[in-house]
Amino acid sequence: MIDFHTHPVMIRELYDANPDFDRIVNDVFGFHFPPQPLEIFLREMDAAGVDAAVLLPLDCTTAHSCKIPSNEVVADLVEKNQRFIGFASVDPLLTEAPRQLERAITSLGLRGLKLDPALQRFDLTNRERLDPLFSICAEHAIPVLIHCGLSWAPLGQAKYAHPLPLEEIAQAHPSVNFVIAHFAWPWVNEAVMLALKYRNVYLDTAIIFSGTPWEAFEQVFQKNIGLLTLERSLYQQIVFGTNYPRTDMRRSVRGIQQVGLSQSLLDFIFHKNPSHLLKLKQEAL
Amino acid sequence: MTAVLETITILTHAETELINITPEVRGIVEKSGIKNGTVFILSRHTTTGITVNEGLPDLEMDIAELITHLVPEKNSYHHARFLHSDGQNAINAVAHLRGALLGFEVFFPIENGKIVSGDRQTIYFVELDGPQERKYSVQVTGE
Repeated sequence: MIDFHTHPVMIRELYDANPDFDRIVNDVFGFHFPPQPLEIFLREMDAAGVDAAVLLPLDCTTAHSCKIPSNEVVADLVEKNQRFIGFASVDPLLTEAPRQLERAITSLGLRGLKLDPALQRFDLTNRERLDPLFSICAEHAIPVLIHCGLSWAPLGQAKYAHPLPLEEIAQAHPSVNFVIAHFAWPWVNEAVMLALKYRNVYLDTAIIFSGTPWEAFEQVFQKNIGLLTLERSLYQQIVFGTNYPRTDMRRSVRGIQQVGLSQSLLDFIFHKNPSHLLKLKQEAL
Repeated sequence: MTAVLETITILTHAETELINITPEVRGIVEKSGIKNGTVFILSRHTTTGITVNEGLPDLEMDIAELITHLVPEKNSYHHARFLHSDGQNAINAVAHLRGALLGFEVFFPIENGKIVSGDRQTIYFVELDGPQERKYSVQVTGE
């Protein structure tokens, strides 16, 4: 099982290495609870049955003068443990972003691009800045995970995170796989519309907006979308993601298992679809 | 009167887990040098428990299964929302409620430098929302 959406920010070792990390995480990301040893991250994965986790950094240089954390930190974590899969993040508003992305892929070995327009505060219609990044992703055949919808981060602004501008992007870059994070809640219909139409648009399941994971999945999957739509039309385009540590992995796994999806679809969500996006051998996960 | 306070840190492994802390508590009592008094054991968290029972694996499983059954996950809880003070989704009402059922502290008398307890009494730190880094405090007071 792969968790496609985790944030390596509440790790004690990162705080020990960077005295300013506590302030950044509090002010920008909005986590206000004690960090835990890296070992706990791995034990949480064990307890949830998660074999591998995608680690998402975030480069907020222009918007907030910080990285949460940097690509180098993610690469270091991946080097320490093979169960981690590292993504890169660059600030699209910086002219050196394409060069930084190229380096993150070729030198640091990172395997996807994470963008968060709400927190990085860039416009998804800014194609002049974004197209060169997506061209690099196409060249290296790596996926792009884009935060859409509600941003819990105190400095995040959802006006930047509506999924509709992704239609033009998906059309312009048909060989790039785009993952819309959080099903773009509350813009679930728009996100589902894009995934229904475009085979290169995926959705991740980090959708907890209120209640328990099971209640949130029941609301969005059963009542808003309908399980049959997921089973019939989107089974190859949903990946499991938790947004850990904003939400714990254990209850997210159980929540999605309890919502009434077929075992076949769960297998696609937990294993096949993320493995396909990351070009992993499925039997290992 | 003398008071000695020690705080122990542990890393738990599972969501629900009973951890025998009796040897650690006895060691702190003996190290304190206090011959007659009281030892208090307190969990520093609200999603854990401290309890005493016979130290048998089957009873550990029974206790874990009972509290899980008594406070089922699939229920409607008020504590199921985004918690702004933490920046997290608070989806662990069950862990809080299971902790409330178990209690967060126990105490024993000390006589002649030893804990006064039944032969079969084992002190457990009970993880209810693990894995996490956890702390419990042991205070020995007396003379």
